Amino acid sequence: MNVMIMGAAGGLGRAMAVECARRGYHLFLTDLDEQALLCIKAGLERRFRTTVVAKACDLTDGGSVDAMLCFLDRNGLKFDMLLNIAGTDFEGSFLSREREKIVQIIALNDAATLRITHAILHRRRQGRRFVTLFVSSLASMFPMPLKATYAAPKRFLLDFATALRQELKGQNANVLVLCPGGMVTNDASAAAIAAQGIWGTLTTNPLEVVARKALDHALHGKRCYIPGVLNRMLSVLGKILPPPWVAAAVYWRWHRAQRKWLNVPNAHAR
Amino acid sequence: MQTVIVTGATSGIGLETARLLAQHGMRIIGVGRTEAHCAQAKQSILSSVPDAPIHFYAADLMQRREVLRLGALLAHDLEGNSDGRLFALINNAGCARSWYRTTEDGYEQQFALNHLAGFLLTYTLLPFLLHAGGRVIMTGSQSHKGAKVYWQDVMLSRNYHPLRAYKQSKLCNLLFAQALNDRYAAHGIRAYVVDPGLVNTDIGTKEQGIVRFAWRFRKPFGVPPAIPAQTFDFLCRAQEHPPGLYYALCREKPYSSAVGKEQAERLFILSEQLCGITYGEVRA
Ligand SMILES: NC(=O)c1ccc[n+]([C@@H]2O[C@H](COP(=O)([O-])OP(=O)(O)OC[C@H]3O[C@@H](n4cnc5c(N)ncnc54)[C@H](OP(=O)(O)O)[C@@H]3O)[C@@H](O)[C@H]2O)c1
Repeated sequence: MNVMIMGAAGGLGRAMAVECARRGYHLFLTDLDEQALLCIKAGLERRFRTTVVAKACDLTDGGSVDAMLCFLDRNGLKFDMLLNIAGTDFEGSFLSREREKIVQIIALNDAATLRITHAILHRRRQGRRFVTLFVSSLASMFPMPLKATYAAPKRFLLDFATALRQELKGQNANVLVLCPGGMVTNDASAAAIAAQGIWGTLTTNPLEVVARKALDHALHGKRCYIPGVLNRMLSVLGKILPPPWVAAAVYWRWHRAQRKWLNVPNAHAR
Repeated sequence: MQTVIVTGATSGIGLETARLLAQHGMRIIGVGRTEAHCAQAKQSILSSVPDAPIHFYAADLMQRREVLRLGALLAHDLEGNSDGRLFALINNAGCARSWYRTTEDGYEQQFALNHLAGFLLTYTLLPFLLHAGGRVIMTGSQSHKGAKVYWQDVMLSRNYHPLRAYKQSKLCNLLFAQALNDRYAAHGIRAYVVDPGLVNTDIGTKEQGIVRFAWRFRKPFGVPPAIPAQTFDFLCRAQEHPPGLYYALCREKPYSSAVGKEQAERLFILSEQLCGITYGEVRA
């Protein structure tokens, strides 16, 4: 199985790469950070008998993506699976954020994901099943004041994935959208989750379990995977309660939590 | 003057060990995670041992490339300042984790720091240890008893359990020491593991989640870090290499029956593969 992982040098990306390598899949890894990419490539090669190719790429830059696609084509690389994991977030209220950073979120989380998905769907291995995974978030299930510029683009991914799945149904392909709660990938995310108190802990999912089960769900043709029973219950609440109520409740909770951890740089809680 | 390298020398057991060894006239090279912590620790030691010959290097030992970078710096230091001899290496830096988290190589962090970092650093410094007939001391733990190595998945990446991962990493300390003795005792090197007991340090407070929660209750029952420092001091300053493997309160102690030649060799080979090195290539 040939798998492409976008955002392979980050916490979830690395965990996915490890899980894929353990299953014996051949990997093509990309990320912005070349040094980090070389580290994960070397780590996987020392540990597993599998082929790992790594190429740094700025997914928000059309030129950089084109160069990567040229590389794929020159080497005749085709894929059976695409894991769209690259994503970013900057915490805080809409007005407190820098204008360009808001645009960056959409550029990476949505625009770049579409660009790559389109390109890789055209580079499927012939005659084989194809699987793609989008990483959305539990946040996509609700209107999220104070995380609006993160949650709304994640909602886009949720809806897009569902629609694309339908379009590809007759083509031996599946699209899974992963909607995790919090995941501890670094000190900052651990601090952000701790700042949310008991709710943070209860809605947090173990990284290695999410990685493993997300792959299983994708391969078994599932549409959406929300890790954790409580998170699944919350997602149902998000569907049945009036959106203004949900927004008010989320605002109340997030306002208190963010005050505690906003001095932590790069808090990626969910 | 004999040079001793202490990793994790910026707080807790490592800091007190470095202080005590400095008091007893050793030249200390401390290793810490950040420059700021290194500067604080140096100041703290100098305030109790003025003019102590002590130098700190900062490196994030969880990352393989940082261990290699540090190894090169230390090699340069040892060649320039101690005639290429390393009297003792204390692999003490360690962490406890509540969640499965990985290093930039994709390795589980407790395994990477508590075991692999010491394994790789010892490799980079082996010529200097061989030159001095030096000692390698790991900070182990009583918790290795009852633990086993999960050979099929040493990073526990399919079924992570924080305490199991910690205990396994501490068992690895003993297996590594055993393997070093099997391979290098005849060349004059001797390896030990110190069981510090329960020690009142900040190891659990540096992590969030279950580790932090549990440490809050355990920490007050711990002894001050100056107590286990005495065992490191004893092992470093004994004229002849002490004969045992596992020490606590300056005395030899029984250890887990899971520690044997075969398991030790198996871990050694696996660790070589994970670090991308071969010890056999190193000569004094
Ligand atoms: N406390 C106990 O009861 C107990 C019992 C048995 C065994 N141990 C073992 O004792 C050793 C020392 O622990 P401690 O209790 O003294 O805890 P500590 O006070 O937290 O000391 C740990 C030391 O390791 C350093 N360190 C942590 N992560 C590092 C990294 N990535 N790179 C480089 N250095 C790093 C720390 O630096 P910072 O100061 O920057 O954090 C600190 O200097 C550990 O191996 C631990 O497993 C402790």
